[in-house]
Amino acid sequence: MKVQNGWTHLLKAALEDFRRNKVRTALTSLGIMIGVLSVVLLIALGLGLKNYLKQQFESLGANLIIIFPGNISSSEEGGGLANFGVGFAGGATFDEKDLNSLSRISEAEYTVPMFMKSMVIETNGQRKLGYIIGTNEESFKILNLQLLTGEFFKKGDITASSKNAVLGFSLADGLFDKPEDALGRTIRAGDQRLKVIGVVKKKGDREQDNSAVIPYTTTFGKLNPDKSFFTIYLGTTNEDEVDIIKKRAKEVLLKRYEENDFTVTEQTEILSTVNQIFNIVNGVLIAIGSISLIVGGIGIMNIMYATVVERTKEIGIRRAVGATENDILRQFLTESVLLSLFGGILGLLLATGIVAIVRIFFPASINVFAVLISLIVSSAIGIFFGVFPARRAAKLPPIEAIRYE
Amino acid sequence: MIKLQNVSKSFLFGEEEVKAVDNISLTIKEKEFIGILGSSGSGKSTLMHIIGLLEQPTSGKVILEGKDVSKLSDAELSKIRNKTVGFVFQSFNLINRFTVLENILLPTKYAKDSLDFDPIKRSEDLLKRFGIFERRNFFPNKISGGQQQRVAIARSLIMQPKIILADEPTGNLDSKTGDEIIDILKNLNKEFGVTMIIVTHEKDIAAQTKRQIYIKDGKIVDKYL
Repeated sequence: MKVQNGWTHLLKAALEDFRRNKVRTALTSLGIMIGVLSVVLLIALGLGLKNYLKQQFESLGANLIIIFPGNISSSEEGGGLANFGVGFAGGATFDEKDLNSLSRISEAEYTVPMFMKSMVIETNGQRKLGYIIGTNEESFKILNLQLLTGEFFKKGDITASSKNAVLGFSLADGLFDKPEDALGRTIRAGDQRLKVIGVVKKKGDREQDNSAVIPYTTTFGKLNPDKSFFTIYLGTTNEDEVDIIKKRAKEVLLKRYEENDFTVTEQTEILSTVNQIFNIVNGVLIAIGSISLIVGGIGIMNIMYATVVERTKEIGIRRAVGATENDILRQFLTESVLLSLFGGILGLLLATGIVAIVRIFFPASINVFAVLISLIVSSAIGIFFGVFPARRAAKLPPIEAIRYE
Repeated sequence: MIKLQNVSKSFLFGEEEVKAVDNISLTIKEKEFIGILGSSGSGKSTLMHIIGLLEQPTSGKVILEGKDVSKLSDAELSKIRNKTVGFVFQSFNLINRFTVLENILLPTKYAKDSLDFDPIKRSEDLLKRFGIFERRNFFPNKISGGQQQRVAIARSLIMQPKIILADEPTGNLDSKTGDEIIDILKNLNKEFGVTMIIVTHEKDIAAQTKRQIYIKDGKIVDKYL
């Protein structure tokens, strides 16, 4: 006859005990459940935020060099986070002169200025809050815009400061019965009357979908009295030239500005800066989640101590029929780990449910890492907080235990 | 097979040291049927716990099957309790959250070597032998005291031990049921040659054993007073 499998006996006894004390088991697991729930949710939301940002950046074409005022250079120690907020406000103000000098960089295939302003855009009877984007004809390529109807404006529109506008899908949809109806109609933005010559397909980017793209020269006036640009993009189809273009752009701008007045970067660098910030935020949030895990662990320890006292006689009986100290230790550890794992799995399931709902609005996701970490952490908590009560149980003198009433 | 040499066991009650077992030397041979007789507080239970390896003596030697048990580890002591010794207690000491059958099987869960028998079949044979087979799925607190003590005896026998230590096995039972339990123990000694040690304070129970040892104030005395 085979040796009786000790583990099945332990598991069966523990599960049997949980069944008997349903309320106590549920309440004890609750702490771990909440802890795991919050940690997994935080990981899922953090991941979602990262995914969201990645999508945003990927909607811009690859090999894009971004130039904007201020300094968020992540290579500068500690500067990355501190200057992030002021970066857009301070520093250089780019104008047409900078655009012309940058466009002379031979390696750059596109030079795209970007002016953006949030404002109310009107048609006869309809008003909608949107954005005016002043740029040139090359922007349609780097923004990966695709026409639903009509056409993009051309180089000639820039020189002529034409009043032609290309509408985003949501803006056209809001102002007219159907987005396609916008073609050929007139819209008003501030003092400008613009003619819609094209409507682009939905892109999923809220700002882009709500904007009217017009020649930058047309914004020079009441819309953009400083004749300035918010950002200038340089683009190339050749990845190897990104570094050269960055270097050239810096040289060009340094003739006119101080080093700290502007930033020349590429999207991957921005992404890594943003990632850095989210890693810190995530770290803080996970630390908060961990506190509830620890509190949950203490709850388990408390119940396990009570269980040891309650089962003192049983421990004595088991010792008398041949259980070693280790057997008793294992029995109680099994129980605390199961209790903790039970809470962990519940928390994980609940988090999965919540994430499934959140996904409707936001690309949150649960990855293998979150699943593994919640199972490992809850088992570890079960062991860590279970080992003290289990040791007490194992060290009980058999005779005193068996006499305990 | 059991040899006690100058065994003493003392406890501290506050400042005062009390010798529960005082310099006892004793040899018990295989297949013996012994009664250890003493009044309450005489130290007879402590002596039994020492023989059963549930307690270690303060001084002296316990030699079981030629081995000095004071040098054994917890795992080795547990193994002897599991395989060689079976306990029957006054208050039955069954686990109330397990069924009768599960209680009888409990020692097999702690067997460290392969079992040379089918534990379920053996439990059922014991249950049938003691006339409580139909109670096998009951919880201990749902059956009578006499039945509980039979379950405890079945549990002590499941690992086929060489020695059974019974501590006041009839103490919680009426005299008729008590007699039945003593008969069972007697038969086990007779039929299977199990070394049987019964600890009691009742003369007429001790009288049914083949050899009596009288304990008073932790010492062996010639006659029970």
